Amino acid sequence: MIKVQKLTKIYNMGNVKVKALDGVSFNVVSGDMLAIMGKSGSGKSTLLRQMGLLDLPTRGRIFLGRYDVTRLSEGQRARLRLKHLGYVFQEYALLGELTAHQNVYLPGMMLGQRERDYKKRAAELLKIVGLGKRIHHYPKELSGGEQQRVAIARALINSPKVLMADEPCANLDTISSGRVMETLCNLNRDMKLTVVFVSHDPGDRQYARHVLTLGDGKIIEREGKIT
Amino acid sequence: MIRSLRVACLLAFTSVTKGNIRIALLTMLILILVALNLVFVPGLLDGLAWGANDKLINTYSSDIVIESGGASHFIPDVGQLLSEIRQIDGVDSVTARNYIGAEIEYEGKYLGAAVYGVNPDTEREVFTIADSMAEGNYLDADDVDTIVLGIQIAGADDTELELYARSLQSVHAGDTVTVTYTNNIVKEYTVKGIYYTEFIQTDLQSHISEGEFETIAPYLSDNASAVYVKTAEDADIDEITRRIMYTTEGLRITTWEDHAGLVDSMTESFEIIEIIIDTVNLLVAGITVFIVTYIDVAHRRRQIGIQRAIGITPAAITLSYVIRAVFYTVVALSLSMIIYRFGIIPLEARYPFHFPFGDVFLQISPFVLIRTALLLFAVSVISALLPVRGVIRTKIIDAIWG
Repeated sequence: MIKVQKLTKIYNMGNVKVKALDGVSFNVVSGDMLAIMGKSGSGKSTLLRQMGLLDLPTRGRIFLGRYDVTRLSEGQRARLRLKHLGYVFQEYALLGELTAHQNVYLPGMMLGQRERDYKKRAAELLKIVGLGKRIHHYPKELSGGEQQRVAIARALINSPKVLMADEPCANLDTISSGRVMETLCNLNRDMKLTVVFVSHDPGDRQYARHVLTLGDGKIIEREGKIT
Repeated sequence: MIRSLRVACLLAFTSVTKGNIRIALLTMLILILVALNLVFVPGLLDGLAWGANDKLINTYSSDIVIESGGASHFIPDVGQLLSEIRQIDGVDSVTARNYIGAEIEYEGKYLGAAVYGVNPDTEREVFTIADSMAEGNYLDADDVDTIVLGIQIAGADDTELELYARSLQSVHAGDTVTVTYTNNIVKEYTVKGIYYTEFIQTDLQSHISEGEFETIAPYLSDNASAVYVKTAEDADIDEITRRIMYTTEGLRITTWEDHAGLVDSMTESFEIIEIIIDTVNLLVAGITVFIVTYIDVAHRRRQIGIQRAIGITPAAITLSYVIRAVFYTVVALSLSMIIYRFGIIPLEARYPFHFPFGDVFLQISPFVLIRTALLLFAVSVISALLPVRGVIRTKIIDAIWG
């Protein structure tokens, strides 16, 4: 489903070139639950941003299904992101002026779904992530864990093929982290959703079917049958 | 586009309702002041021009002035001409005046002046001079040995008058003045009244009845130096002018606009002043919207990055800011129109601005209203677009993570 081939990302920090990713290659099969682990600065978030079409690699290719996303224009990548990818940010990244319900249905609205459909689907998704009774609350009225679950529901509104989560539990307490990770596992199991998540917490390995460990921009360990 | 519009409307709506209300109110307050200024200044200047023209027409030139076009300064057979003009459609009333130069003397002070022989009855129909008496009364048809003076001639002890120093200074109704005409006739008159139209050219005239004038210049009987025509409201002045030309040959016919040289040059200056003030106003409006949007965009840079990351198109994000700017402008325009229509105009009508040619009342011109609205919309939209475009062009990861 996702093919990453010889992915290299170099950042120019003034006169210094920093190689954040160095020839990373792997495949993600449909329905997988993949964890990308590694220490801070290992390149795991950079990798997810390339896979999530938020940034372009310096070299290498990423295939999402039949699309070589590295060759698409900004507009095409935006459409692909909207239709086929869900992305959960480390810092919840909700829009503070919108309710949980509005935050979730906004991408559906952008995709041109019927109002009744996206509103109903948003309410259902919030129920799935355990926030059925808080749909009209604003982000500031929700806890960190609840906000992250709203962000997960938002990522699912357009029924994506892949859900990517960048350190989804980084700012959460243990109980909230557990609920968020269980939510991701349930979605992977019940909805056959491909989930790729980034974490630096070794404890999160338990939720993944496969684990890639990065170090200095390279894959240093592959756990499970990952090619 | 419809999708982007719907998303933009939601983002704009929540931004207005859930955003910083103080900044929204401040922005609208500034836009209201700018809109008021954009309407007030032309309203005042239009009022000035309208007031000056109104004074000109009602006290000095009427709508159409007919003079002799030949070597003679007088129109012959004026009685016949008047009755023919009265038959023309669109003519409300007509009066004829005769003119003779004179020197007026009072208590050792002398002043050169134009003395007009008028028909007080038709004069009242065409002009409003009789309604502007500062002292005494206007002439009646059978008045002899009496004269009515403009206040800039009489002075009337009003030291505030523009031409008081060169006037007779202390003439009042009931006083006697000595008039020496250019044909060497000298006559004493009782001042029946002093009028004050606030239009200086008119207030420099003096009037005697046409019966009295005939005793001074009997050779000008049934002649007139000028005929003044008041047209009906909405009458076609050009058409009436053409019809008068067909009636009698050798006449020089002018309209009030030909006599409005002062107002014309004043209007040209007003237009330049208006452009300067409008430009400053629009710059203030533009800079305000720009700063508010710029600060907002800078503050929401990360949010905008997230919106783009979750698939909201740049068009929708940009449009949301444009809609917000348009909303602020609509509210500001509406409130400013209400304030102007129901606050400033009634207040100004009660306490009008006073200018040398009288009170000036604010005017509302649909053209000015439309122009103000369009200009303010254009400036607001452009000023909102500029800062948003900068962030939209930034890479998503730079917008979110810096």
